[in-house]
Formats: sequence, C-alpha cells, structure tokens
Amino acid sequence: MSKFTIVAATGCPTGIAHTYMAQEALEQAAKKAGVQIKVETHGQIGVENTLTTQEIKDADVVIIAADKDVHAERFEGKRIIDVSVSKGIKDADNLIQDAINGKGKLRTVTSQNNEKVNNSNNERENDKTSIGRLIYKHLMNGVSHMLPFVVSGGVLVAISFLWGIFSADPTNAQYNEFAATLNQIGGLAMGLMVPILSAYIAESIAQRPGLVVGFVGGLVANNGGTGFLGGIVSGFVAGYTILLLSRILKGMPKSLDGLKAIFLYPVIGVFVTGLLMVAISQPMEAVNIGMIDFLAGFQNSNPVLLGLIVGCMSAFDMGGPINKAAYVTGTALLAQGNPYFMAGVSAACIAPPLITGFSVLFFGKYYDKEERNSGLVNFILGSTHITEGAIPFAAKDPLRVIPTLMLGSSIAAILTYMFKVQVPAPHGGFLVLPVVTNGLLWVVAILVGSIIGGLVLGSIRKYSMEKLKSAVEKI
Amino acid sequence: MGLDIQKSILVDVSANSQKDIFKLISNEAVNKGYANDSNLLMEALINRENEGTTGMMDGFAIPHAKSNTIKIPALIIFKLTNGVEWNSMDGKKINFVISLLIPEEEKGTTHLQLLSKVARLLMKEEVKNLLKEAKSELEIEAILTKYIDK
Repeated sequence: MSKFTIVAATGCPTGIAHTYMAQEALEQAAKKAGVQIKVETHGQIGVENTLTTQEIKDADVVIIAADKDVHAERFEGKRIIDVSVSKGIKDADNLIQDAINGKGKLRTVTSQNNEKVNNSNNERENDKTSIGRLIYKHLMNGVSHMLPFVVSGGVLVAISFLWGIFSADPTNAQYNEFAATLNQIGGLAMGLMVPILSAYIAESIAQRPGLVVGFVGGLVANNGGTGFLGGIVSGFVAGYTILLLSRILKGMPKSLDGLKAIFLYPVIGVFVTGLLMVAISQPMEAVNIGMIDFLAGFQNSNPVLLGLIVGCMSAFDMGGPINKAAYVTGTALLAQGNPYFMAGVSAACIAPPLITGFSVLFFGKYYDKEERNSGLVNFILGSTHITEGAIPFAAKDPLRVIPTLMLGSSIAAILTYMFKVQVPAPHGGFLVLPVVTNGLLWVVAILVGSIIGGLVLGSIRKYSMEKLKSAVEKI
Repeated sequence: MGLDIQKSILVDVSANSQKDIFKLISNEAVNKGYANDSNLLMEALINRENEGTTGMMDGFAIPHAKSNTIKIPALIIFKLTNGVEWNSMDGKKINFVISLLIPEEEKGTTHLQLLSKVARLLMKEEVKNLLKEAKSELEIEAILTKYIDK
C-alpha cells in the first residue's frame, strides 16, 4: 500500500460540485508540487475514496476543505489545515505549499461541536473563531466527558439510599453492606467529576499534553475544596500553561520533540498548574469558615432573608466552599436541635437538578439529546439530594445558569422556611419524607422553586438558541 | 460512460444578470421536461447561490439545485455572448454557465457521479480553454464527452 504525505477531505452542502472541484484542485496542486495526496470526498453519493486509519496515521498533514462535517475527530493529534471548500478550489496551490511547509494547527475537534458555518462570504470571520465560542467549546468538551461520571455515580448513590439514607454508615442501624459498597463506588465516580472536567477542558485547549496537567490540577482543586468552579479554573490554567510552554519551548530542535512530549510538558505543566491550584485552593477553607460564621448569624432572621441567603449559597457552587458552608451549618444546627434550618438547605440543594429537569421537560426542543437525557436523570438525582446533577448544566454556561439556579433554590428555601418545615435528616432528599414535618408543603415549596427556575432557565436557553439561529441564518 | 444524461446546450445566449440566467435555466428545464415548476426551480437555484457563490474561476459558473420540482437529473449549458456579474471566486465576469439539476430523491448514483465529473472537468485548464473556444452546441458536447471518460 502506498503512503500519502497529505490526506485531505472535501465536502460541501449540496455535495455535487464544489466537493469534487476541490478534490480535483488539490490533486492537481499536489501533483505539481510532487507530493502524494489522497482526497476523500463527502458528496451527495456519500463518502468516496475513504481514508483508512493507517493512511491517516502515515500522513504528515491533513487538509480539510469543507463546509460540512467531515468527521474531523478522526484526525485528532494530526496537524490540520482547515479551510472552506471554496478556498480548497481557489487556493489549492497555496494550501499544498502550506502543508509542505509545516503550517496548520495541531488540534482536537469535538465531534458534536463541529458546526462550521464556513462560507465563502465570511471566510475571514470563520478563520478566527470568536473567543466566547472558543471558551464554550472548551467547557463543552469538559462537561460532556464529565457527564457520565455524574450520572453513574449519582444514580448509584441514589440507589444506595433505598436501604435508608444512613445505609453506608457501619455504626448505624440501617447499615447494609451492599448499599455501602454501592455508595462507595458511586462516591468514587462522582469524586472524579471535577478532575475529569478540568482534564478535558485542558485537553480541548492543548490536546493530549493538556490532559494530564488538567487532571492533576483538577485533583488538587477538588482536594482543596474548590468545587466545580475550581475545576473550570484549573482546566483553563492547565490548558494555557501548556500552550505557553509550547511557545517558550518552540526554539528547541525538532529532534527533542519526544523529550518535550513525555517529559517537559507533563513535568513542568503539572508543577506549575499544581502549585497555582494549591495557591488558589488555600483561601477556600477561610472562605468556608467565614461563610459558616456569616450564616450562623442569620439563623433566626426572617424566613425571606434567610431563605434567600441559604438558596443563593447552596446553588452557587454546588459542592464548593459556599455550598458546603450552608450544608455544614445546617448539619451543625441540626445536631443542636434545630431542624428548621436544615429543611431550607435541603430544599435549596434539591432544587438545582430539578430546575434543569423541568427546563428540558418544558423546553426540550432547545436542548440536544444528551442534555435532554441528563435533564431527566436529574429528577432522580434532585429527588435524592444529589445537587451535583446540575453541575454539567451550570459548567456549560455558568454566568447564566448559576443565577437561575440561585433564584429557584432561593424560592424553594424561602417557602420552606415560611411553611415551617422540619427536616431532621441531613441528606436523602425526598426519601426522608416520612420523617419530615409538613412534608407535603416542603415538596410544594421545592416544586414551586424548581418549576419557576426551570421556566426561567428554559426561556434563557430558548432566547440564546434563537439568537444563535438568526445569526447563522444571516450568514 | 460518455455524457449519458438529459441535457440542453445553448450557445450565444444573452443575459444581463445572474437572475436572468436563473430564469432562463428554469424555463428551459420546464420546457424540456426536466422540472415541473420554473418558479420553484429558480428559488432552489437562488437558495443554493446564497449558501456560497457558484461563480468559479476564469468565467465559469456552475449554478446547481437539488429540489422536489426537478424530475430527472439534467445538465443545462449556456455559452453567453457577454460577461455577467456573478460574485465569482476570482472576481471575473461569467460567460460560461453549466447548470446541474438534481432531483431531491435521486436514488441512483450514476447520474450524480456524472454531474460531479462535469464539475471536476472545470478545474482542468485544458478543458476550460477548449470550452471557451467552442462555437457550437455539438462542439461543447464533444469536448465534455471526450474528457468525461478520461
């Protein structure tokens, strides 16, 4: 089998003319330049002249000249020159020269997010993806890899509660060995959530070298108690640390590339990112303690103010220092014989996943399939007080989603305090209903907060999707 | 395989604008029985044009459409008497139009492949030069037939 220096893929919306003209142009240009090329076409008839895995592996460089998805994820880790199909037709000679001269970008392409709207009219705009879109792309990569950890871990923990919410505690009468094992496995899966989020944000920014650095940075952030927001920070820090390193090390001879990949990037990257994340995590304990003191001062204030504070704190970072402060205060006051306070905290922790659930239920067509499914799973996670279920939604678009979750949680907490609900258990969600005083009102409070939150969240989503759509149509 | 497809080739076509040409293509397609409705076909051509120009280089344009109103795959070729503005890739005016018509539900691949091959031919300098020199319908058909099998 012959080897190709360059492999290419071409495609256009109609798939009848431009696709093949670009193929012809690239083949001619390669011939002129004396290099071997194989061009795969994505046309109306389907994919022809298909590139094999081996051919992709053997090639030095990939040229994509397409205005449609040509499954670019196959080219992960390759040097890629990515242009519109018309550039492939018009500038084939230059593209081949660029390919020979080592231009192009090493990059990963997330398959779902590859909606290129390349068009001859707006080539320039598309060559530079907007910063907002880029950040979103990195977040999405982190979130989509994190999601299965949240779902698998969350659901297993929720199942373990069926034996009683203390079934994992050997000193408790409810203890059940199998339930405890489920709880432990689920806990481990959920514990990986933040490191995975961080790792794949970094991978999206800096490809494979970013992965390890992001993972370790995420672990440091997680152990430092920063919650998922810390994971997002560590992902970006890790990714850009590697990009910075690659710029600094650019001058090194090519023969040392191997050393870079297996030694310099991971060692220096982990060192720098790790230290930074330790530094960022340091104040977290102080934040946590400060918030606990702050909150304790409000325990007897009026239900609206208290509910607002508890709701906002619980939904702000979902497992981070501020949420934990609310939760720890709740359990501490519970131990002192105050079951009212905990009721609001639980309501505010149950609401966020339910808000996302209601949002996909009411506004399903504005979400993709993955989001719809995980939104529905969130009804289970919310009902069992696993607030983390909402994190994948929050991490994708923190600036819009978190305030909405805070709103819904606050409503749930305020109503809970107004209804004088008493929750004597620190966890378990609706599974502890039998021991809750005014349990029905508590459910009402949570549902009202969640439905309002869900409607707001869905409307925001609808608005931003429609804006995106009209922007695409304008092009 | 030769140029085994329904086709209509006309030389010395005069038109003032891209829109005129779309209208001529649409009417010709209905007259020859390639399409049902000239308005729908025209709309489909314009829609495709809006997705990105079909004005290629050296005065060649390949307006094409995929639509329900198209009954059979067909080729409509106009050689123009004067240049027409087409927002082409190299900015040159268009004087040779090769229009590809594709039914929405085309099952077979033979005709699609043929149309794609015609498009590919327009990337060959040799073919472009010959077509520019061609004076008659028959000459154009002969050039395309000769190169399509190459």
